[in-house]
Amino acid sequence: MGSRGKRGMANPNPDPVNRLRGARLLLIVGMIPVVVVVVGGLGSTILQSIGLMPLVGPVRLSVDAYVSTAPALLSSIGTSLWIAAASTAVAIVLGATTAFVVVSGGRLGRIVGAIGAVTVSVPHLIGAATMGLLLADSGVLPRLLGIDATAWPALVAGPWWVAVIAEYAWKESAFIALVVAGTLLTRVAQFDEPAAMLGASRGARLRMVFLPLAAPALIVSATIVFIYTLGSYEVAWLLGRTYPEPLAVMAIRLFNDVSLSSRTESAAIAVLTVAISLAAVAVAAVAMRRSAVWR
Amino acid sequence: MTSAIALRQITKRFIDHRPPALSGVNLDVLPGTCTALLGPSGSGKSTILRIIAGLEDPSGGRILLGGRDITDVLPEKRNVGLVFQRPLLFPHLSVIDNVAFADRAAGQTRRQARDRARPYLDMVQLGDLGDRGVGSLSGGQEQRVAIARALAAQPTILLLDEPFSALDATLRHEMHELLLRIRRELSPTILMVTHDRDEATVVADRIAVLENGQLLQHDTVDRVYHRPASLDVARLMGGENVVSGVVRGGVHHSGLGAVPVDESAEEGPGALVFRHESAGLIPGHASPAPAGALHATVVAVIRSGLRQRATVRVGTELLQVEVPGTMTVTAGDAVTIILPEQILWVVAT
Repeated sequence: MGSRGKRGMANPNPDPVNRLRGARLLLIVGMIPVVVVVVGGLGSTILQSIGLMPLVGPVRLSVDAYVSTAPALLSSIGTSLWIAAASTAVAIVLGATTAFVVVSGGRLGRIVGAIGAVTVSVPHLIGAATMGLLLADSGVLPRLLGIDATAWPALVAGPWWVAVIAEYAWKESAFIALVVAGTLLTRVAQFDEPAAMLGASRGARLRMVFLPLAAPALIVSATIVFIYTLGSYEVAWLLGRTYPEPLAVMAIRLFNDVSLSSRTESAAIAVLTVAISLAAVAVAAVAMRRSAVWR
Repeated sequence: MTSAIALRQITKRFIDHRPPALSGVNLDVLPGTCTALLGPSGSGKSTILRIIAGLEDPSGGRILLGGRDITDVLPEKRNVGLVFQRPLLFPHLSVIDNVAFADRAAGQTRRQARDRARPYLDMVQLGDLGDRGVGSLSGGQEQRVAIARALAAQPTILLLDEPFSALDATLRHEMHELLLRIRRELSPTILMVTHDRDEATVVADRIAVLENGQLLQHDTVDRVYHRPASLDVARLMGGENVVSGVVRGGVHHSGLGAVPVDESAEEGPGALVFRHESAGLIPGHASPAPAGALHATVVAVIRSGLRQRATVRVGTELLQVEVPGTMTVTAGDAVTIILPEQILWVVAT
């Protein structure tokens, strides 16, 4: 009975070495699905793109898939980067501003916070449809403003991808706002009063305290937004032009092509998209290491 | 002389909070002095500081800083320094840049601000740690930097909100010495919140006693201890000897017998109070009895560090007397307690 009682009791001071070993084991278990998805998915995509895992035909190492898509590739990369960069930039400005309003408290802060939370839960597809209905030349906005369809700028399927960028910026600004507001409320807001007592105006507090301390959260959330926007296709597919195609739209079109040989080209586009994403992560990592908080 | 800070009928009511946190508080702090705001938790000490700082709006009353009404002035424009219970150093700035923050916020260049900050960092004896990140500092060092940072802003008044309460006894003692040195060198006007009577005695010239949002007494340290304005002040200051009685013709009549008191004592019902630290105790029943001597019997003795506290019975009253640890006193001993007239005070009841 005594020994059973002892076994039932939790050890209040487990051996640190055993505890570390246990934590590593748990980490390995958690890493398995990540490794399967990332290494397996990415590996098979890379193999497909260089002809080593064809759906049809002989196995042959080649860069044909990359070469065959090259003519349209530059404009596609440019379009994707434009959409992702512009969406992320607008989302950062909107999201950070929204976060500061939420942190400032009061009724306005609560209302803005609630709107942000609701916005995050809206699917992108619904957001894209809504943006189309709002911004198209026959949409709600020109009708509300009393502007004729012929005089309305081409926001949907136009040369600047305005509707696409607007949808991404709207949705992702809410995401950035919630991430940054969480950081500000839990880690940064406490420094507002000391800064004010040292004579810092609201502007100085924003510049000297809030922005530097919120920078890591902003960098991380902005990187997530950039990579997501770069890799998602449905909003650009619904609201964008048919040419040039963003990378993700091109990849999906080629993947669904009746010709199974197009799968290798689709894989090549996917690999390029991943490479650009990894470059964005590297830039973000450098920015993080240079941020004042990290130093 | 114009007060450095003056509170006039300050009242503060929080929503869903009754009674008010502060009720008609009037307080004057003279330039170059240090006043300790002393009181139990929830008495309104920190609320007073936050109202002076502009971090809370008063529900009523005015705040004058150097004679100027600052009640409606933004916190950043009051030129009031505040050191919080936690140091709250900016984690993204080095030690020297924390101290230089006020000058940077005022628009000075980094070099100018750092040059001006260095003497303040030297003053708190951390001149060698300027380039360090604040994360590498100990608790005591962090609070020193917080004080240097507040002083570097050259505030009209420095508010300290229990800044040493999280430190251990040794560090607290060091911080008291630091504060005394700062007072000698800069003569700042200081208003300090504390619930530690000993701390108030060490660093302050005057003590303002608060309870339930009301200022009970604001006076010199000695008078607050030995001349309490009320029995509440006597209790809050740790006074343990309160003997009810009546004053007639400069004599207090009670269970102790007839005890001569100060001529200023009001005629009528009054409680005789005196500090247990100030009373004397000698073994045996002294004969002839010196002035202010009363024969007593020891009821109990409790040792506390190098001192011991004796509970003695005089007539029908039980009194507390602090005696040196070297004195041998045990329950049942016949003793004589000495109550000189100057340690006695009568509070009208």
